[in-house]
Amino acid sequence: MSDDAAGLLAEIHAARGLLRATARAAPSPARAHPGIAALWAHAIREPGAAVDLAVVRAIRTDPDTARRYRTLLAAQAVAHAPLAAAAADGRIASRRIGAFTLEFLDGMAEGPPLLVIRGENPRPPRIIEVILADDAVRVALPEPIAGAILLALDPAVPDVVRLGAMLRNPASAAFLL
Amino acid sequence: MTGGYDERCAADLANVCEGRELAREDRAWLARAVTGAVRPNRDRPLWDLAHALAALARLTRAGAGRDLVTLVLDPQLARAEALRARFAEAGTATGTADARGLVLQGDAEGWRTTWSGLARLLALAEFVLTAEDLAHFSALSGWLDELVSAPGPEGAAFLAKRLARHLAAYRNAHLPLAPLERRFRAILGFLDGRRAFTDDDILGFWQAEMGGDERPGFRTVAEHFVTFEAVSALLGDLEGLAAAASLDAVEGWEDRLDASLGDLAVEPAESLAVLLAGIGDAPKILTGAERDDLADLLRLEPFHRTRPLTTLRAASFGRVQSGLANRLRRGGGGAEIAERVTCAEAETYRALADRVAALAAHLDRMLRIAAALRVPADAEGLEPEVRGALAAALTDLRRVRRAGFDDPDRVTAGFAAADAALLRLADEIGRLGRALAGLAGERPLEAAFTADRAIFARTLAEAYAAEAA
Repeated sequence: MSDDAAGLLAEIHAARGLLRATARAAPSPARAHPGIAALWAHAIREPGAAVDLAVVRAIRTDPDTARRYRTLLAAQAVAHAPLAAAAADGRIASRRIGAFTLEFLDGMAEGPPLLVIRGENPRPPRIIEVILADDAVRVALPEPIAGAILLALDPAVPDVVRLGAMLRNPASAAFLL
Repeated sequence: MTGGYDERCAADLANVCEGRELAREDRAWLARAVTGAVRPNRDRPLWDLAHALAALARLTRAGAGRDLVTLVLDPQLARAEALRARFAEAGTATGTADARGLVLQGDAEGWRTTWSGLARLLALAEFVLTAEDLAHFSALSGWLDELVSAPGPEGAAFLAKRLARHLAAYRNAHLPLAPLERRFRAILGFLDGRRAFTDDDILGFWQAEMGGDERPGFRTVAEHFVTFEAVSALLGDLEGLAAAASLDAVEGWEDRLDASLGDLAVEPAESLAVLLAGIGDAPKILTGAERDDLADLLRLEPFHRTRPLTTLRAASFGRVQSGLANRLRRGGGGAEIAERVTCAEAETYRALADRVAALAAHLDRMLRIAAALRVPADAEGLEPEVRGALAAALTDLRRVRRAGFDDPDRVTAGFAAADAALLRLADEIGRLGRALAGLAGERPLEAAFTADRAIFARTLAEAYAAEAA
């Protein structure tokens, strides 16, 4: 008998063992954590779309689920900056996310502060998501004008106010999607 | 590690099987694709997967790799019917599908798969994407981005090569197949071209292996023979498998092989663990000890029907040997090595046969109760003796002194959920009982046990001489 016969027998033996192991694991009526499919659906949602609260809760409370979620975001992001280990100190006026520069223009004569996103990429980002500790906010971005995306941080819109505050904290993770 | 896979791999596979609620045959196919038990080329599923993704990219006009990821991870698209409903029409209009399945036009004949083939390939895609807790998700998404930018046969072939390398690395990390392969090669050598083997061949092979460094468990060796017997019965000439080894396999040969391997790999999925899991704990239809006994006696399916002597050897001396191995691993506890190797504590074959009879009687009693709970004794058209038996079972139910049997609602619900599993278990243990009776008719169990104990004691004493000293 040939070596390949032994190889095939070994592979079938392992497949049989795996089937037995997965059958044993199968009857789990309530999954402890959302599956990857549910996390992915959450990761590709449009800003403001309905969310699965169980998924949101799991991302907030379970560090492993949160890490998986950030992995899924990072994989589809045009650019991203990971969570920083260092504790936050102070507010920053600008930061880099991959090839993009984010700048806050405060103290304008009139109107709210502006977030300006500049960067070279064939596909301009449509969405920004910022994660800090167990909080996350996702906001739609307007089309770029002359290479720059301008987002007004209107104090009347709670989400963009939170976005601005979290983004100014250098410890936050940011994803341009 | 004797099973050929690690916990990570089992968890990766379980995630995909659960999330997609895969049917047994599809679970079996996926497990084989992961371990590489596919011939003539173990990377064929990845070749097909890459082409399927290219065809889907064309069909859906995917703009980026993430669009393909969304298709792969969509549980609504886990079934062939759903895939047909979603893609057949649009695909036919663009030449990327027809009623039968997906098509990737290229040079010569092109590539195609059926909708059910596509459902399997998407499960494999999910496995590859999500394995190792998403460790390679980003890299793979990047590969899909590249595929989407040029979704033709060339891009597909390039992705197929990447995926094959990727899965090969995964197998290296999580599927320690080399020891299994060595053992099967040794079995093939031991049998020297024979396909048929006897109980004493298994024992003889185990004795020979105990002379080496690995000192495999008798039960482990018996499990290898289970696989060997099943594979050689289905595939006959194992030699023929090695012959064709290219992607351009002879049409049809692969499908036949796949069908038989599928059946083969599927069989243990519905085995004992599932049956035992199907019987709840309230009421206590089975005690922990009864579950352990059933698991121990039926674990070598189908040998409990066909090779009762090997079943007895594994239950009696297999337990002695795992006790030895456990003590060595822990570095102490319980009887000394020198004492254990004498097999003085081994359970006799007569005692095991009696326990099988007691289990059969208990399962029969529980089955009667299950029937009585399901069929009202005053149901129409029952024969008087059936009516009597049902009434007797209900009376008997009140005599059972086990946890949960005093709560009528739980008893009704518990038996209703368990009766299919009970029936299977009773059937299997009954077959073991008959096989043991047949064995006892050929050769008294007492004599067989005495002879075997001498062999096992000698083999274990030699193998563990250093530790026993």
